[in-house]
Amino acid sequence: MDLFPLYLTIKVSFAATVFTVAFGLVIAWVMAKREFFGKAVLDIVIMQPLVIPPTVLGYYLLGAFGRSSFLGRFLEDAFGLQIVFTWKGAVIASFISSLPLFVKPARAALEGVGSELEDAARLLGKTELQVIKDITLPLAWRGIAAGAVMAFARATGEFGATLMVAGNIPGLTQTLPIAIYDAVQAGDAHSANILVGVITLFSFIVLYIAGRFTKGRF
Amino acid sequence: MDLAFNIKKSYGEFRIDVSLSLNEDLLVLFGPSGAGKTLILKMISGIVRPDEGSVTIGSEKVFDSASGIETPIRDRKIGYLFQDYALFPHMTVFENIAYGVNAKQGGRDAKVRELIALTRLTGLESRYPRELSGGQKQRCALARTLASEPRVLLLDEPFSALDYQVREKLRADLLRIHDAYPITTILVTHDLEEAFMLGRRIAVVNNGRIEQAGLREDVFYRPATRDVARFIGTRNIFTGTVAGLGDGQVVITNADLGVIKAFVPEGSGLHIGAEVSFCIRPEEILVIRPDKVLDSRVQDNIIEGEIISATGKGSTQSLFLKVGSGDTLLKVELPNFVVRKLSLAIGRVIRVSLKRENIWVINR
Repeated sequence: MDLFPLYLTIKVSFAATVFTVAFGLVIAWVMAKREFFGKAVLDIVIMQPLVIPPTVLGYYLLGAFGRSSFLGRFLEDAFGLQIVFTWKGAVIASFISSLPLFVKPARAALEGVGSELEDAARLLGKTELQVIKDITLPLAWRGIAAGAVMAFARATGEFGATLMVAGNIPGLTQTLPIAIYDAVQAGDAHSANILVGVITLFSFIVLYIAGRFTKGRF
Repeated sequence: MDLAFNIKKSYGEFRIDVSLSLNEDLLVLFGPSGAGKTLILKMISGIVRPDEGSVTIGSEKVFDSASGIETPIRDRKIGYLFQDYALFPHMTVFENIAYGVNAKQGGRDAKVRELIALTRLTGLESRYPRELSGGQKQRCALARTLASEPRVLLLDEPFSALDYQVREKLRADLLRIHDAYPITTILVTHDLEEAFMLGRRIAVVNNGRIEQAGLREDVFYRPATRDVARFIGTRNIFTGTVAGLGDGQVVITNADLGVIKAFVPEGSGLHIGAEVSFCIRPEEILVIRPDKVLDSRVQDNIIEGEIISATGKGSTQSLFLKVGSGDTLLKVELPNFVVRKLSLAIGRVIRVSLKRENIWVINR
């Protein structure tokens, strides 16, 4: 049995989660701690992937990163970077669709650290960076960790947008959920059962871990 | 270090407009809830930005809207004690206090231990804030603030979350600590007793403004406005018409109280026919024994009234006398033994004397 889809899924999900946490933390922090014009609109844009069909998201990403787009051409010309129909496309699809699942709990966790505690640290002479490092993050890390676990889980299950952007190339861009679809289409019930079992067990474990984080059991 | 500020801020209808300067002393900012006291502290510290004005510590302007100066909070070197202390929940008592010590200074641990001893926290160093009582939290927060060697100390209702007994002890603690670390301090409170006990100087804040600022005795015994008189617990505030003036005295007529004579300072700006307020503290009213023959010196300001209620408050009793034909009530506060000795019970009619020197006339 071909284990490549499992390997690729884990690789893509890890890469996507790294992006999600890095970008998502900045977004969550800005949303939690700053007031600015257009905040409500930005919030809606970030939450979009939760509600729009994954195919629509994939369509947008194709438009953004395809060879005919400015960004796609720029990445290819400047860095030799091809996004569409490569595993990197799968990473971007997973990253965008898992971002809201991370931003929501991370933002709530950051908001939960009262501004009074941060002000108290500033009054003791601490810089903004020290405040984040010593006060905000240590008090918000549970929510952030739970968000990261959720984002990782969402990335492993990404199907529609990945199919649109990365395609379904066995041994190259075929992730686990797509392999399941393929197996079912091909009438390969044996492979489908195993893969379905793997992903079900995995989701269960992830939700359990996320729950432990939010309940403060780690 | 001297502190001077002159700040304005509007929140819709509510406007704050205050200016004050103080030196190495403890000033109490006293006023009712919602008067803007906490906001004044937040503007001095930089947590809230004033619309306009300036804040000066020593010779350094830390905020000045005219020249665009706005020193970040971290560089102001202001100690701030939050009402609910804002202790870092993930740090122990020791770590909380140590976090306040500037890392560049040597001897951090020795300093933390000194502050722990000063604030009576010895033995609790490794506890987390959630494992402390209210009083311990407050002292830990104070130690953390002192650790940062502030130039100015701002205390926002530091005792409001504590039990009565703990409060008494901690107020004494605060005065002791203030003697050990004589830092320019502003303490915010709405508790009259606390204001009187802690502040040698008091500023009365109402509706975003300072109504009166000065020495405790001036504010308490010579309130500048009717509002101040009300806030400092003066219960007997009456209005009347000036009927006579001269020799540093004023004669005021009031429908229920009759003719009242009082002293007024020269240049008080009073004139005959003017409406004035006057007040007398309940504890300064004398009860005249029924059998006493009055000599001419105390014949002024004798008032007769019926006791309509009596409530005990620890060692004293408050009696309310109904005076005249209107609904004027005179509050008299007497030690319990006097009430017992004269058997002052509800329903009795008694005479009291409002001595001229105890009456304060408010020309506003």
